[in-house]
Amino acid sequence: MAHRIVGQPVGKLEGLGKVSGQARYSGDVTLPGLVWGKALRSPLPHARILRIDTSRARDLAGVLAVLTAQDLPNILVGRRMFDMPMLARDRVRFIGEKVAVVAAVDPDIAEEALALIDVEYEDLPAVFDPIEALQADAPILHENPAAYEGAPAERPHPNVQSVLRFKLGDVEAGFREADRILEHTFRTQLDHQGYLEPHAGVVAIDDAGRVQVWASNKMPFRLKELLSQALRLPPEQIRVNLTPIGGDFGGKGSLMDLPLAYHLARVTGRPVKMLMRYAEELMAGNPRHPSVITMQTGVRKDGRILARRVKALFNSGAYAAFKPAPSVNLGGTGMGAGVYRIPNLLIEAFCVYSNNIPCGHARSPGEPQMVFAGESHMDMIARELGLDPADLRRRNLLRDGDHLANGHHLEHVRASDTLEAALKASHWAEPKAGSWIGRGMAMTHRHIGVGFTNARLRLETSGAVTLSIALPDTGTGAHLVLRQVVAEVLGLSLDEVEIELANTDDFTTDSGVGGSRVTHTGGRAAYHAAEKLKAQIEAEATKHGIPPGALAAIARAAAKDGRTLEASHFYDAKAHAAVTSFTAQVAEVAVDPATGQVTVRHFTTAHDVGTIINPIGHQGQIEGGLIQGLGFALMEEMKTEDGRISTLSLGDFKLPTIQDIPPLTTVILQDPVGPGPFNAKAIGEGSISAVAPAVANAVADACGVRILDLPITAEKVFFALREKVAR
Amino acid sequence: MNAFDYRSPRSLDEALAVLGEYGEDARVVAGGTALVTMMRQRLVQPSCLVSLRAVQGLDRIETDNGGLRLGALATHREAETSPLVRERIPVLAETFRRVATVRIRHMATVGGALAHADPNQDPPVTLLALGARVEIRGAQGSRELPLAEFFRDYYETALEPGELVTAIKVAPPPPATGAAFLKFLPRTADDYATVAAAAIVTLDPDGIRCREARIALGSVGVTPLRARSAEALLAGEGLSESVLRDAGEAAKTAVDPLSDHRGSAAYKLEMTAVMVGRALTQAWEAARRAAGTR
Amino acid sequence: MIRLTVNGTAHELEVPSYRTLLDCLRYDLGLTGSKEGCGVGVCGACTVLLDGKMISSCIALAAFADSREVTTVEGLAQDERLHPVQQAFVDAGGFQCGICTPGQVVSAKALLDANPNPSDAEIREWMVGNLCRCTGYYKIIESIRVAAERSRA
Repeated sequence: MAHRIVGQPVGKLEGLGKVSGQARYSGDVTLPGLVWGKALRSPLPHARILRIDTSRARDLAGVLAVLTAQDLPNILVGRRMFDMPMLARDRVRFIGEKVAVVAAVDPDIAEEALALIDVEYEDLPAVFDPIEALQADAPILHENPAAYEGAPAERPHPNVQSVLRFKLGDVEAGFREADRILEHTFRTQLDHQGYLEPHAGVVAIDDAGRVQVWASNKMPFRLKELLSQALRLPPEQIRVNLTPIGGDFGGKGSLMDLPLAYHLARVTGRPVKMLMRYAEELMAGNPRHPSVITMQTGVRKDGRILARRVKALFNSGAYAAFKPAPSVNLGGTGMGAGVYRIPNLLIEAFCVYSNNIPCGHARSPGEPQMVFAGESHMDMIARELGLDPADLRRRNLLRDGDHLANGHHLEHVRASDTLEAALKASHWAEPKAGSWIGRGMAMTHRHIGVGFTNARLRLETSGAVTLSIALPDTGTGAHLVLRQVVAEVLGLSLDEVEIELANTDDFTTDSGVGGSRVTHTGGRAAYHAAEKLKAQIEAEATKHGIPPGALAAIARAAAKDGRTLEASHFYDAKAHAAVTSFTAQVAEVAVDPATGQVTVRHFTTAHDVGTIINPIGHQGQIEGGLIQGLGFALMEEMKTEDGRISTLSLGDFKLPTIQDIPPLTTVILQDPVGPGPFNAKAIGEGSISAVAPAVANAVADACGVRILDLPITAEKVFFALREKVAR
Repeated sequence: MNAFDYRSPRSLDEALAVLGEYGEDARVVAGGTALVTMMRQRLVQPSCLVSLRAVQGLDRIETDNGGLRLGALATHREAETSPLVRERIPVLAETFRRVATVRIRHMATVGGALAHADPNQDPPVTLLALGARVEIRGAQGSRELPLAEFFRDYYETALEPGELVTAIKVAPPPPATGAAFLKFLPRTADDYATVAAAAIVTLDPDGIRCREARIALGSVGVTPLRARSAEALLAGEGLSESVLRDAGEAAKTAVDPLSDHRGSAAYKLEMTAVMVGRALTQAWEAARRAAGTR
Repeated sequence: MIRLTVNGTAHELEVPSYRTLLDCLRYDLGLTGSKEGCGVGVCGACTVLLDGKMISSCIALAAFADSREVTTVEGLAQDERLHPVQQAFVDAGGFQCGICTPGQVVSAKALLDANPNPSDAEIREWMVGNLCRCTGYYKIIESIRVAAERSRA
């Protein structure tokens, strides 16, 4: 079906304020009398707090308040499992945990005050490695995790936060029929989401006693609920005001410093701004979980997979508070099955407490870890069996009617088409340009997210239409997508549809941004609201005998009758659709044998997608995710020793720069079968997960060394090459 | 940052007087890229900051006895793009070009980088290989020091309290000389080097054999350093795989790298040999071109 | 007391010695377009022009700008009309979340001022200090190409 506006490569009209510097992010919000909050953080990974002396800090000129846990109600916070104090009470469990908070007239004075707080600690035995944390005699992080609100019931060890399990068939029976059973263990690193806007928030208590919040948080309504819980305030007393968010990638869904900002505002009677420094982000944000993943796969000689067992340990750090899913685990764990039909499957994922930074969600949570393991494992199996890695995949790809590990039934499965498209575009079968050059492939798929969104449309007397929505702009271009959808349905031009950003008073609920859901849920809410408005417009036109296209006249006619033409829609997608989006990628790398340095010579990414609503935004999601995946593959690592992260700036924790990106070929297979408006699917998390294994497989192809732990540094390749020569 | 006195003297003498007044509690600031960052991280908290930014005449890049004199306040970007530097000592311009990012090079100064004495920096490596001399000014007057004697330890120099770097002087390279600077960046393009190597090769009149080679290395010790044992192996030799290998191995004995985010000590040791070999090859080839034997 | 000109407007300010140029712009002058990302001069979100040269305002003291001219992202548009670089970032999708964008467009403007016809390699070398986590940079390169082409046309 041809569309007028949907599918057009419209530029980023939603971002005029962003290029001009006018867009107000939460850190930019200023209010009369505003003061600054800063937190003092623990220098020790596990210790008892014996004494905190704040007197010198209180005496510093410009300091308005200093709070410790003793000044706060004893309430634990979280997103799903509530196990984290707002300020450490008696005990700290990771380096970077907040122990005190200061309000001062400027940020430098607040920081100076922190240096004047004396804390006496007594060291406690600590544990950092998830395998060691599960030993019988390991130091215990939390005495009784089961007592925490939201704690899952299954707990094989006190240091287990949660267990997530996917089971199909009978793995042991499958293994008995297998010709070979191959087992490999993989490790992935601690990695920050890398958004360039550190967490920011402003809290003010207004004259009516209401708590006004501006925060870099992508789920305003959930934030309101969580704040209500944390502050023991009725939800209607809290208003979350939406601001643009300076990068999310899964990391901007928690309370972070907001409860402390509230308490400082309460004590000082002033609005309080808390901005984390980037060092604090790297010390105490909520980064991607590091993992240890063991894959065991039983195959027939011809490559058919009969059974697989996957065990994943996620080093979750000191608190489970940052994980939002009901499982208190990482949904991406299900990707242990990859894009393959595996009749007998058991995936078990353990989120483990340790004295490290608490981890949270990051773009496609759990999947980059699982897909690195799974797709590296596939190539290793192919090598063992003497099969072409493409053939091994072809033999096992999901097909129409298959089920995923989580039981979801699939239709319109384009795994095979996507793989073949990537192979063709990457010249997979053609000779390589020389020695020390290799190609590697990897595949994945990503669900189309679910959730619920409210949209409200109003016909203005100018003839324009205003779309009111409470979905923050995290940069994905969703607001423009929604405008395109509304303009398409109502036959308007794009500039006749405006977005009005609502706040949490304006609607009852909304699931916010995340999980590749917004084009689907926001798009459908806007779509249906537009259809309703269209019907009203037509009825009104008929009533007044005005042509249905004369919107201004219709609106004015209604206004004369004292009415405004408005339509709302609440769209709630509870269950995943029976379609998914496949990705197939091919990396071509060169390895410098003298240094081990890996250069990505070319990257090919192929995507099975639904109707594309905005090609520029869509491609932007592919490119951004891909380069994030490349950083994960090759360079990003928050290095930690005994719980101490040593890469505490973007000078040491390196993100890819504009000089580090490879030539890119994108292949799009468009198939209008998605659940979104105009049969759109999702794209935000499709390109990140397969990059690392594609690179790892290419490195193995180039030089015969297999890197099992990310990132694939030059050093690792160098020493692996040396070991290979020695053998 | 804590509060401090900010002084912005208009002349060098005035700056020296302020430094004398505050003693060791004062710090000199030029571009500020290193010092302000460290102050923001609360790693240093001077009670007085003496800015040289208003002192006239400290930023000149000029010829000096056939060589070059780079004023301490010249920025990295000015050194990189100076036609004089590009023409006389292109390897120096190229080295400045490899530092961090254009934006930082607009701020960071030639003298500030020397006084900061971070062994992960690039320009000191090439300057060391070029046999540069540091011009220092104190209340007692001026003195000059070979750069090799200037760096003492991690963030430590031969500057006495109250002294300033005013310029760096580089002699012109002899004829039939080639030079190369290599910055090994296995992570991102804007990183500090895992290993940096500068090599300067001067050929015999035959235009083939090495008369003198100078090799300097960065990021592999507490200061930038010369690999003299490797240099000694090269005099009188022609370019060959075995000579390069021996020089690389000898360079390893000169370094003592620390493990950090850019590589383990063991890896940096191995990369020292690789980068020395590659830098020598490039410098040698450039020298042959200069000698007309290639 | 410092005197500085920001986007053509002269200011006289009494600020504490430790005030960074970035905080001075954001909090003393209310120009919040420039952002603090990394805070150590690496990410480029705080890029402004000081006497026409791009610098990191997060590691510059406000005092460094005394008697000098500062251009921020707010100073690029003229009479409500976006600067061609800003317009190109909109049209070619050179941003997503927008937090790095003020620094990107200020740097890109400085590039085109110095070199109206940059090659891709020159774009990359100039822009290496402006990190972006959203776009993967492809569309930033494209935006600068578009801006350069339009300026030539």
